[in-house]
Amino acid sequence: MADLLAPQLSAETPAPDWLEARRLAGKAAWESSHLPTRKTEDWKYTSLFALKQPFTAATESSESAQEIGLDLPQLSGSRLVFVNGFWREDLSELVPDAAIELLRFAEADEEQARLISEHLGSIVPNSKHPFSTLNDAVLSEGVFLRILADSKAAFPVQLVWHNSEQTDAAINSQRLLVLAEQRSEATVVEHFSGQGHSFTNGLSELILEAGAKLDHSRLHLESADALHIGGLHAGLNRDATLNSFHVAFGGKLKRVDVVINHRGRGAHCQLDGMYLLCGQEHMDYHTCIEHAEPQCTTDETFRGIIGDKARGVFNGRIHIHPDAQKTRAELSNKNLLTSSTAQVNTKPELEIYADDVQCAHGATVAQLDESMLHYLRTRGIPSDEALILLSYGFINALVEKQRLEPLRDYLKPRLAEYFGSAISAEPDYAAS
Amino acid sequence: MLSIKDLHAEVEGKNILNGLNLEIRAGEVHAIMGPNGSGKSTLGHVLSGRPGYEITQGSVEFLSKDLLTLDTEERAHLGLFLAFQYPVEIPGVSNMEFLKASVDAVRESQGAATYDTVSFMRRAREACAAVDLDQAFLKRGVNEGFSGGEKKRNEIMQMMLLEPRLCILDETDSGLDIDALRVVASGVNGMRSEPRSFLLVTHYQRLLDYIEPDFVHVLADGRIIKSGEKSLALELEEKGYSWLDESEVA
Amino acid sequence: MSQEQIDRAIAKDYAAGFTTDIESDTLTPGLTEDTIRFISAKKKEPEWLLEWRLTAFRFWREMSGPDWAHVNYPEVDFQSISYYSQPKSMEDRPKSLDEVDPELLATYEKLGIPLHEQEALAGVAVDVVFDSVSVATTFREKLAEAGVLFCSISEAVQHYPDLVQKYLGSVVPRKDNFYAALNSAVFSDGSFVYIPKGVRCPMELSTYFRINEANTGQFERTLIVADEGSHVSYLEGCTAPMRDENQLHAAVVELVALDDAEIKYSTVQNWYPGDAEGKGGIYNFVTKRGLAHKNAKISWTQVETGSAVTWKYPSCILRGDNSVGEFYSVALTNNLQQADTGTKMIHLGSNTRSTIISKGISAGQSSNAYRGLVRVGPAAKGARNYTQCDSLLIGDKCAAHTFPYIESKNPTGVVEHEATTSKVSDDQLYLCQQRGLDPEKAVSMIVNGFCKEVFKELPMEFAVEAGKLLEVSLEGSVG
Repeated sequence: MADLLAPQLSAETPAPDWLEARRLAGKAAWESSHLPTRKTEDWKYTSLFALKQPFTAATESSESAQEIGLDLPQLSGSRLVFVNGFWREDLSELVPDAAIELLRFAEADEEQARLISEHLGSIVPNSKHPFSTLNDAVLSEGVFLRILADSKAAFPVQLVWHNSEQTDAAINSQRLLVLAEQRSEATVVEHFSGQGHSFTNGLSELILEAGAKLDHSRLHLESADALHIGGLHAGLNRDATLNSFHVAFGGKLKRVDVVINHRGRGAHCQLDGMYLLCGQEHMDYHTCIEHAEPQCTTDETFRGIIGDKARGVFNGRIHIHPDAQKTRAELSNKNLLTSSTAQVNTKPELEIYADDVQCAHGATVAQLDESMLHYLRTRGIPSDEALILLSYGFINALVEKQRLEPLRDYLKPRLAEYFGSAISAEPDYAAS
Repeated sequence: MLSIKDLHAEVEGKNILNGLNLEIRAGEVHAIMGPNGSGKSTLGHVLSGRPGYEITQGSVEFLSKDLLTLDTEERAHLGLFLAFQYPVEIPGVSNMEFLKASVDAVRESQGAATYDTVSFMRRAREACAAVDLDQAFLKRGVNEGFSGGEKKRNEIMQMMLLEPRLCILDETDSGLDIDALRVVASGVNGMRSEPRSFLLVTHYQRLLDYIEPDFVHVLADGRIIKSGEKSLALELEEKGYSWLDESEVA
Repeated sequence: MSQEQIDRAIAKDYAAGFTTDIESDTLTPGLTEDTIRFISAKKKEPEWLLEWRLTAFRFWREMSGPDWAHVNYPEVDFQSISYYSQPKSMEDRPKSLDEVDPELLATYEKLGIPLHEQEALAGVAVDVVFDSVSVATTFREKLAEAGVLFCSISEAVQHYPDLVQKYLGSVVPRKDNFYAALNSAVFSDGSFVYIPKGVRCPMELSTYFRINEANTGQFERTLIVADEGSHVSYLEGCTAPMRDENQLHAAVVELVALDDAEIKYSTVQNWYPGDAEGKGGIYNFVTKRGLAHKNAKISWTQVETGSAVTWKYPSCILRGDNSVGEFYSVALTNNLQQADTGTKMIHLGSNTRSTIISKGISAGQSSNAYRGLVRVGPAAKGARNYTQCDSLLIGDKCAAHTFPYIESKNPTGVVEHEATTSKVSDDQLYLCQQRGLDPEKAVSMIVNGFCKEVFKELPMEFAVEAGKLLEVSLEGSVG
């Protein structure tokens, strides 16, 4: 395995003392950790082979948004933009909002530093997620979003991580900590985009205190050559509600672990996601819902469309701990294969240690319904167009479910365009 | 047949019955009416021994036995039947299989010979016809996917087959259309006989148009506050339960 | 009704727990190449088979036991197991049932398989494996008329070496897994069935397995070959006497269904599960696999109520076009039992179809996991799978898990998986009790209802037995 840490350390800006200690601990943990192999159950279908190449330190870019091809939903709220891992003040925007504090770790005042120290990494088990230690080792550009107790953010907060085209494969990290205090409400959009073959090690943590409500989206719309290994870890305390929405185009290697911890009675999570893969892309979503407390609920829906020679992996684990009675948890994963060389491996898992629970999961792998295709064609719609329509229909319901209208408006044309190109490149399927 | 004295009961720490007294003799039909939350349904469950219903005071004698010391199934063996307001579904267990096991258990406990399969099936089909339930329901899982009305008719059918001594009907009329109500009532009326008694628990007097009670009791705050003949039900219908509160005060 | 009642109803004694006092000829514990040479010589095996075993043994020594299953048990000491046990009075094999040791026959009576009666009534041919040697085979003549070969695998090695050599290890290679390799090295006996072309086997074939001798592992090997267009239904029943120590059972079953053939394999497994404290019980580590050629059908039905630890995945390789695989399973665990069981459906041919219906029931402090793999290969055009996995929990100390792996490489394949969990609800029990049923009867009825889709796949007499077995196994689970 190439050295994934050294190039990042060379580009790392100095960190304040309170952060430095954590960086050093992360460095030590990373250096002593063992990377998973294909024999590691959680990595059975995803090879880290693509990381066996030399990575260089990412370089700062000063080009305009247009020049680097940055394309974002217009959300009207605060926005922090990072390019190649470096903060771009000129592209960022801070809209005053009394309900939130939004800053980079390096800028934290004493109180904020205390909160970051208290919560950062508190719900990420490093032993299961070795890449989180790599992330710990380079923290200075981490972002902290605090939503103050009993208040509601006026605007959605947008966090953008963009990689520009670079000659060598560069490596950088992304880190976000959201602390939604008691009974607060906010909307956060994480947006990954870029060109080229950079490797990003992302890690976001969402802490929802009692009664907090958070609408969260994480968009992985990077180029087909991108590499990303990332995690989203959320901790939900009593009666907290999290809506988390995930969209991913594939990359050379993409793996995102979504871990939701129900840590207080009555918490609710709605988790939706889609992965749309073509070419030789690989995308692996591993979701894990830990029901540690009674009366929590989870609704999880993931849908995948896999074409060309792409490979999709989905693993959805629901773990009901002893005494987590009156849990209701449901998971559905549906996959469409649109080419004879596409592959999908899916494994919904239930692990249950309490009896008074309602749990169900379902998974399907199929192609588009012939009779539907036929029906559209009898109505005069050409078969390739019918394919696009139906594929789009397969994931559209998940988009429509999202409350943030500008996000829906942003995604829809991009998804339609994606299907247009992805599916018309499938002559063998369209002809059948 | 049934003698309830000073019955107090609580559910989840809340007092629901507060000193209820009731005497039912063989062959009588009693109706218990009362506003929501008066403890009507609790009475049925206390008598049949539902877990979680705790008796804090009082006694219940049924056919000269101390009912409260018996397990639920022993009460059923003695001839106590409760038609549930919300019968639960038991997937995979066919109605026929369930009925046979139930009737066998009750008859065996009473020292009566069990029916052979053929004659039992005949009886079950007859009972189905009597409550206007298609015979296909016998093959389906117990209450599985039944509509509200079908569940109620299924309860009455079981009552017919079990031939109990005391039938408690817990709001059997709720959620039934008029035709279903007639079917249920004619089932009950067909079973009225000298040794058999009925306790009808209901919110509306509508049911009593079809099943004529000998006595009507009004339950409020866990006690019977007024008893009378059939006319009491009509009076209640006309004046509402609030009339009673006033008359009690007066 | 409560937990207490539930606990009471699941706690009955193991009805088949008794040992038979027959002098046995048992090999001293330990496993070396000499052990294998001894077994092979004892059975007067041809040279090729000895070599086959020794190769397997060499593979085995290089392998390690599986660690991915959701079960925990102390490491098995393979050197403390005796690899050959043969009832002494069997040295000269009986020619008919009359020659069989009466005490042995009495054992079978206790197990509910009275051979004489079966001969007359059920029309079932039984090949009984008592410890390691097949002691009696009935109905062989009638089967011979139809051309069906049904005998112990040791006899098959002597009489039909070509068939054995051709198919042994063809479905489960010696290297397949740790326990399959061990079995290939030391297998003692088992059943062999060959159904000739176009023949419909005139009766259900049946084997009862029973582990009797203390400290003997049982390594039986079953091979069933259904030639083109033939049909056979095979029943396997398993019991073992109660002992404090854990005993190892590592069997291999291979099914070969040639073009247009059909094999139905039903198992009722009632190995000793250990006592309520988890002491004793069988470790059941079994490899079962069938290979289906063109238009062939392989159907596994299993009712698993016994064993301390079960590790078992009866599987189908659907190699031929239009072949069909089925897996119907009821697995019940109680007390401290652990089960990790399921199936693999490997779709290789086009238009292959598979159905998986799995019902797991957990009671007491047991752990019950379904683990299944459905793989649709690149050439499996139009493959179709439907999987339904349901778990029923009785009590709040038990665990139920579902781990379905779905791997699809063909867009025309359709794979559907659904899983649910439920409990025996207090309301269901109350309704049953109100109608006069005692709690145990009520639970067993609800559990039987839960398992109905699987029981209907069992041959009639087995279905009745399976229902009773569940009832016994659940005793003490309702309090």
